[in-house]
Amino acid sequence: MAHTDQHQCHVLCRSCDLVVQKRALPSPVRALCPRCGTALYDTPYCSINGMLALCIAALIMFFPANLLPVLEIHFLGSIRNTTAFQAAIAVGDQGYWVVGVAVAISAVIAPLLLLSSILAQVCIAKFALHLELGKKTLRMLLKQQGLLSQLTMLEIYVLSFLVSAFQLSDFADVHMGMGTFCFTMLFLLLLFLQREYNLEHMWGLLDDN
Amino acid sequence: MTTSSSLDNQTQIQGMNKGLCLCKVCRKINLTSNGSCTRCHAPLATRNYASIGQSWALLITAVILLVLANIYPITLITNRGVVTNDTIFSGTVHLVKTGMIPIAIIVFTASVLVPWLKIIGLAIYLTAISFNLPVSKKKLMVGFHIIEWIGRWSMLDLFVISITVALVNMGQLLDAKPAPAATAFALVILLTQLAAKVLDTRLLWDRLEPQNDAK
Repeated sequence: MAHTDQHQCHVLCRSCDLVVQKRALPSPVRALCPRCGTALYDTPYCSINGMLALCIAALIMFFPANLLPVLEIHFLGSIRNTTAFQAAIAVGDQGYWVVGVAVAISAVIAPLLLLSSILAQVCIAKFALHLELGKKTLRMLLKQQGLLSQLTMLEIYVLSFLVSAFQLSDFADVHMGMGTFCFTMLFLLLLFLQREYNLEHMWGLLDDN
Repeated sequence: MTTSSSLDNQTQIQGMNKGLCLCKVCRKINLTSNGSCTRCHAPLATRNYASIGQSWALLITAVILLVLANIYPITLITNRGVVTNDTIFSGTVHLVKTGMIPIAIIVFTASVLVPWLKIIGLAIYLTAISFNLPVSKKKLMVGFHIIEWIGRWSMLDLFVISITVALVNMGQLLDAKPAPAATAFALVILLTQLAAKVLDTRLLWDRLEPQNDAK
């Protein structure tokens, strides 16, 4: 009995295993571990509909962002351009497949999987939480969430095509186009989506039912 | 299980001593005696003692690869028939020489500073746990969170290489190709991220604890 009570009003720090008493927090405040400073919890709030909107917008943006060239150079009359995925393939073709795979996963595959996973989670939360299959799928998706969001590196990719543009402007004319714009928009949408998303809250959905 | 009367001890109870344990997958508090998490069904473990050894192994491999990544060229550029090998460092120096200081700072941070800082930081962290060094645990923890966060930024270098290789590909006139250090650098990023992820940081707080409040 005593143990079940402790469950509710305590949290454990994931970094140092300290037992911390849980208190109610106002919404923009985050509780930090008093001993090691790790973020412990905040008021888990996320608007399911807002997430759905951001997620669909990001998925729509994903396709032009990856099909249109992110960078184009004009060099002595010849024009060359590349998308994120083609760039990964190009490095792989040179025999550096470790680099190619790393680039493809972090710039293309992981973001797509992350978006699809969040879309599926939101749909389950809205429509299928009462079904056993829905709960099972949600549990499976939530387990992968941490890994997927760590592998997604759109912010770094956006910075990297700016860096490449500056470096290449030494040799050739560099042009940015619709693809660059879409990629940047994709990055912004995902950024806001990840701000809205709260893993703790999503796990909480499984608790209540 | 001792309930000490001192305030310090009361405010610093470890979950392990109370028979509680955090699920490492979904972060739900569980009774350790349950065996597996009630929410996500993942197996529970109070501490992962093997993680120090695993983390050391990954880190040492990463150090060897990082040295290789810095010695060998990372790109091979052909400009009007002249072939130049650029290492990570010479690439940054070249940027400074051409006057692109802000870009040089970004590239230097992502490809030189971050990997080295990360490896040195993790090494200090692991040494402190393994040999019980009297270092401030709080500072170590702050450093560790920074390491976890900045680690991914090294990917910048690989993205830039991939874009350059895909765009600049015109035979003898102008051509860019990756060189051996690129693979080594990619592995350094992977291994250091894993080393930080594998490590069970709760061990740091356990190991130095008995000294502080010995009976």
